[in-house]
Amino acid sequence: MKTLVKLEITRSLRNKKFMFFSVIYPPVLYVIIAGRDTTGNMPGLPVDLKLYYMVAMAAFGAMTAVLMGNSERIAKERETGWVRQLRLTALPGRGYVTAKIASAATVSLPSILLVLLTGATVMDVRLAAWQWGAVALCSWAGSFVFAALGVAIGYLATGDAVRPITMLFYFGLAFTGGLWLPMSSLPDWVRHIGEWMPTYAYTGLGRAVEVGEAPHLADAGLLLGYLVLFAAVAAWLYRKDTRKA
Amino acid sequence: MTSTRATAPAVEFISASKTYGTVRALDGLTVSLHPGETVALLGPNGAGKSTTLDLLLGLRNPDPGGRVRLFGTTPRQAVTGGRVGAMLQSGGLMEGVRVRELVELACALHPRGYPAEQVLADARITELADRMVGKLSGGQEQRVRFALATAGDSDLIVLDEPTTGMDVTARRAFWSAMRAQAAQGRTVLFATHYLEEADEVADRVLVLHRGRLLADGSAARIKAMAGVRRVGFTLDAVPDGVLEAQLRALPGVAELDLAGATVRLRCTDADATVHALYALGLHPRGLEVTGLGLEEAFVTLTTRAEETGHRVTENKAGTK
Repeated sequence: MKTLVKLEITRSLRNKKFMFFSVIYPPVLYVIIAGRDTTGNMPGLPVDLKLYYMVAMAAFGAMTAVLMGNSERIAKERETGWVRQLRLTALPGRGYVTAKIASAATVSLPSILLVLLTGATVMDVRLAAWQWGAVALCSWAGSFVFAALGVAIGYLATGDAVRPITMLFYFGLAFTGGLWLPMSSLPDWVRHIGEWMPTYAYTGLGRAVEVGEAPHLADAGLLLGYLVLFAAVAAWLYRKDTRKA
Repeated sequence: MTSTRATAPAVEFISASKTYGTVRALDGLTVSLHPGETVALLGPNGAGKSTTLDLLLGLRNPDPGGRVRLFGTTPRQAVTGGRVGAMLQSGGLMEGVRVRELVELACALHPRGYPAEQVLADARITELADRMVGKLSGGQEQRVRFALATAGDSDLIVLDEPTTGMDVTARRAFWSAMRAQAAQGRTVLFATHYLEEADEVADRVLVLHRGRLLADGSAARIKAMAGVRRVGFTLDAVPDGVLEAQLRALPGVAELDLAGATVRLRCTDADATVHALYALGLHPRGLEVTGLGLEEAFVTLTTRAEETGHRVTENKAGTK
């Protein structure tokens, strides 16, 4: 299993095109949305706008990388029959899911770090050293949840259906979780749903750090719950799929 | 017969069927493979070969009532225990990695994996080791799949149409690699529609047709069962209706083909046919008796099965 995890990470690092775009586009989007010259707080929040978007974009970028990368690649590997071949080895079902999350995490980490670096240099965001560390760590660990979701989607859909389904989850989660617009500017009913979204809890970790608090246990707990749920669904679909395919 | 009771068959199908919707892909297959045998699973497309292998490997379950056992355990247990190495027709390869890395992975995943260099050498693909998997030709991919199937100390090697896409040289190298596996005492089961392969490589041939086991025996036996010797000769004159009926009634004649004065017979017992031919008082010229390949034996068997709807059993095939 260790060999598979290592090999999946090697593959991710070798896929330069995917790596490049996954890593480069969150910081670019960050600069465009937050704007270099803007100052002041987010409407309705005691948080600096540039800081808010830095955390949101780190999360958004990481989520993009893991969700897109996993779902499409897994759907493709199912079609070529590699998953079937893997099924004929002694590898346990969880091994495949673990390896996929690990390889996704390889791509999301540099993407997060680059957003934070952009924040510190281009956007003049100032945080204490522990806050930088905590934001990076929270963004990275939280991305595992979406990597697991990506695995599940990869099993749920095939071929042409993968991308639209991924997009549906992706935009839905990003919007309701307040990654693009602050939650305070969304309609009430969206906010009520959004508060239960993994994306909201995900950025919630960072929001707590922004104002100098430790990440809230409730957010961490909700994320952990989603991680278990997505991983379980992924594992279940994996077993079901190999029975059939 | 002499085998001890302690040795479970390598593979055992007990009235295993598989139905997809209304299609019966496999119909009550009962067969046992013994450790050390090299067995060819022969049949045209749609005969049920892939379904048979899927059941064998635990990728699908047989319909209720049927059973598949490997070494006395379930297929899944045998697979996770590393007792089976398999190469699927539909088995894709991981992309974005080198051949060596992929083989190393297979070795690491096997509970009794061999060193990767040895597996590469045994599969005759050492020269491909540093190539990227996505850049291989179809035949090269097949050889890499074979390496994955033989990455560890398995007791059973299952190969689905292994030589698809290989040229003659590659095919020869492949079968020599496979023979080396069999020589180590492994049971080898391979599906093919290249009949000469079954003829050359297998100790035993199972002929599948429309989901049923049509014949089971050595390649020579199957040929004999199908009545595959051809007798050809030319008569002095074009035979009339009476003579034609006489020719048709000769012992051992399965099929008669007339072209003017030239007669071609397909015979189940060519010796008896020729003997009776002279007894008719005819003077055949240019008499030729030729043995036919498995290919024609196979065509004969399947045609006969379609006509009668019966299974050709060994006892029906007559004695030798």
